[in-house]
Amino acid sequence: MKKLAIIPAYNEEESILQTINDIRENAPEFDFVVVNDRSGDRTLEMCRKDGVKVLNLPINLGIGGAVQTGYLYAYRNGYDVAVQFDGDGQHDAKYLNIMADTLEREQLDMVIGSRFLESGGFKSYALRRFGINFFGVLLKVLFGTRITDATSGMRMCNRRVMELFIKDYPADYPEPETAARLLRHKFRVKEIPVVMRERAGGESSISPGRAVYYMIKVTLAILIERLR
Amino acid sequence: MTVKVQIIMVVVLIAALALLLNMVRKRTLELKYILVWIMSGIILLLFVIFPQLMDHVARFFGIYSPVNMVFFLGFVLSVAIIFSLTVALSRLTARVRMLAQMIALEEDAKKETGTKE
Repeated sequence: MKKLAIIPAYNEEESILQTINDIRENAPEFDFVVVNDRSGDRTLEMCRKDGVKVLNLPINLGIGGAVQTGYLYAYRNGYDVAVQFDGDGQHDAKYLNIMADTLEREQLDMVIGSRFLESGGFKSYALRRFGINFFGVLLKVLFGTRITDATSGMRMCNRRVMELFIKDYPADYPEPETAARLLRHKFRVKEIPVVMRERAGGESSISPGRAVYYMIKVTLAILIERLR
Repeated sequence: MTVKVQIIMVVVLIAALALLLNMVRKRTLELKYILVWIMSGIILLLFVIFPQLMDHVARFFGIYSPVNMVFFLGFVLSVAIIFSLTVALSRLTARVRMLAQMIALEEDAKKETGTKE
């Protein structure tokens, strides 16, 4: 089984090497690739100096385009499993093996690392939790499956899902929308409990000012997904 | 419609059409995207020069004055053009994304073969 960790990075110089070392130590059977989304800082230099494989985007595509580049790479290079792993230090590599085992053992299409199935760790802020809950309810009503952490960026998938993601992947805030898409296609999605940390560096792509846009856009996207 | 407003509109429309055609001639604009503008200009021009064409259309829609019909038509055509631009923009965004991704992957593939040699 060839397994790849996709690390989308936009201005993550403070945390990128820490993330990579975490994978090297705690999930050595995973290959990894950094997708540098035209960072303005030294992310690219630091990765190159460390000998890390980097896919260097010539223009800034946003999180969706960056992650999709990783899936393209994984699919073309024959990886059986790909996992999205954030470069900001929120994700913990020790869960990667558990996720891969679950994916294989239970014949799933996607495994999502959820912050809300177990106590402890960083669970985001109250308002965000409200938003995440809202998406959970929306997905349950529309698709009949409860997803406790639809916004989680820690998600592992097989080649079937990669194929789907390569064809079409939302440009921004892709997580809840793609979860909806998989559920619509009756793919087997399961969550396992993970503990996340607060980001070590960089900035969230969802600033307070954008929260309203985020909620409207993602809600609409999920509703449209239901109509497809 | 008074003769005065007719003359003003004809002058403005012809000036705009001349400007557009000149820009296409100089290749600053792509004819493909200008075609809708030229067509709208010609349609408006026809209705301004021959307002009687407009009379029964305006009456059908319950619009009192044909000049209002010209304005309304201009507005509808503008919205249509703006919408067509949104469609073109979406397609362009998708294409640019794909190009950027291909460049990143190609660059990496080149480097891979480079290190193997």
